[in-house]
Amino acid sequence: MNPGSPVHPIPARAGIGLRLPHHALVLAERPAAAWLEVHPENYMSDAHSLAELEQVRKHYPLSLHAVGLSLGSAQGVDAAHIARLKGLVERLEPALVSDHLSWSIAGAQYLPDLLPLPYTEEALQVVCRNVSQVQEALGRQILVENPSTYLQFAASDIPEAEFLAALARRSGCGVLFDLNNIYVSATNQRQDAAAELRGWCRALDAGAVGEMHLAGHAVVATEAGEELRIDDHGDHVCAAVWALYEQALAHFGARPTLLEWDTRLPAFSVLQSEAALAQARLDSAQQQSYARAV
Amino acid sequence: MAAALLASDAAGQALPEHMFAGAHAGAVGLRVHRNTVLGALSHALRLAFPAVDKLVGEAFFDRMAVDYARARPPAAPQLDEYGRDFPDFIAGFPGTETLPYLRGLAQFEWLFAELARCRAEPGFTGPSLQLEGGVRLRFAAPLRLHAARFPVEPLRAAILAGDAQALAAIDLQRGGDCHYALWRSEQGVNLRPVSAASARFLAAVYAGGDAATALAAAASAGGPGDIAIAQLLAQEIVPAGFVQVSATPAG
Repeated sequence: MNPGSPVHPIPARAGIGLRLPHHALVLAERPAAAWLEVHPENYMSDAHSLAELEQVRKHYPLSLHAVGLSLGSAQGVDAAHIARLKGLVERLEPALVSDHLSWSIAGAQYLPDLLPLPYTEEALQVVCRNVSQVQEALGRQILVENPSTYLQFAASDIPEAEFLAALARRSGCGVLFDLNNIYVSATNQRQDAAAELRGWCRALDAGAVGEMHLAGHAVVATEAGEELRIDDHGDHVCAAVWALYEQALAHFGARPTLLEWDTRLPAFSVLQSEAALAQARLDSAQQQSYARAV
Repeated sequence: MAAALLASDAAGQALPEHMFAGAHAGAVGLRVHRNTVLGALSHALRLAFPAVDKLVGEAFFDRMAVDYARARPPAAPQLDEYGRDFPDFIAGFPGTETLPYLRGLAQFEWLFAELARCRAEPGFTGPSLQLEGGVRLRFAAPLRLHAARFPVEPLRAAILAGDAQALAAIDLQRGGDCHYALWRSEQGVNLRPVSAASARFLAAVYAGGDAATALAAAASAGGPGDIAIAQLLAQEIVPAGFVQVSATPAG
């Protein structure tokens, strides 16, 4: 992108996760979408797709949602990966940059998953150091997302919401608040998701929440026959997550909201329809907010 | 925990349960993460090696991919670059003894995938050759040359198309040298089978050689004389789509 190109801010509207199979359609037809979000790791060694994304970027506000910074790694963040991300940030001028409260690199191995942290003061200091390193290198704030969790460490002595809230306060990062992850984590731990959400609302400063995520998930059975929810981003948003989203909007106010869909990727029009459902709730929240203000 | 996610034996996959709390046993959560990690790595390989996947079948491909992931996990998050030495790894994989062309097919697919990720260079200025009679050849694409012991290009095409008839028509026992020129254009990856003489000619040109050097290299492939070289230019090089020909009238 040439210097001086306008930077499109991300509106408090419903955006769509752009995946490589939809590039051609988006370039050819420019379908309606308030904004788009991509995984930057898909463009770091794919010059062809990056060239396409640069064309897309001319017509849509863009967010970069990383999966490979490994912000929870005790060994620190890989400087080479920060440099790759910085290169894309300078080239694409995204309005938002984010990653997850998780780790994926140990030693010289990259494990493609969002692996859980023990929520302790020691881990908090590690993540604060890593987030600050990334923000310093990029010269901007990043958002950090709450992941879906399937494991809880016995050593954890800080609730996840308070952990992320403290991270935001100490490092100055923002929060990417994923409602599907709240639901998946809570139900997998046999906890009441609505009560969990209320805990998040109490813990997080509203001003820290820079984006929300919505997605579908899978329901499977363990070998013991217990129900387990897997955050595979492969289905429509379920009713319970829509309810959590409405609660979150009522508390935090309208925020840019992304509809994520990664596995069993449907036609782009399906994503548009799903995003429209989020947009309707955003519109309603904004009307209620306006009514309260007047 | 990283070791437990990639461990190949049951003992190595377990972690002490007292590390974990919550509604499910730690082993349940570990299994979810293990499936995600190995599934993502298998998926990345499947994208790069679609014909290998289709040839050996999904379950067998997964076995190769999981063993590869355990032996050589990726070092960086850009998974496009993961799998460079997968062809070497599967060459000796138990159960593939009847597929001597598997490594070559995988190497060809990796090259194809690499080129697919390249940016098309419509303004590319490659080498040019001044031939006798005022003819000038301008090579307008960043060419990659590939040599294989088996006809991997028709093999790949037949497998991906599911064309059993075409597959049966390929003599895979014969072996021999097969040469391909590949390049990236805005339309996608372009491919042209070429003779050994053309491959040597092109390699010499792209190495910066002049016309005499390139023609000598082509001749060394099998000793074609001047007429054969002319045929090679007319039949293989010029129509290939990556060469522009101009003629300067003799003055």
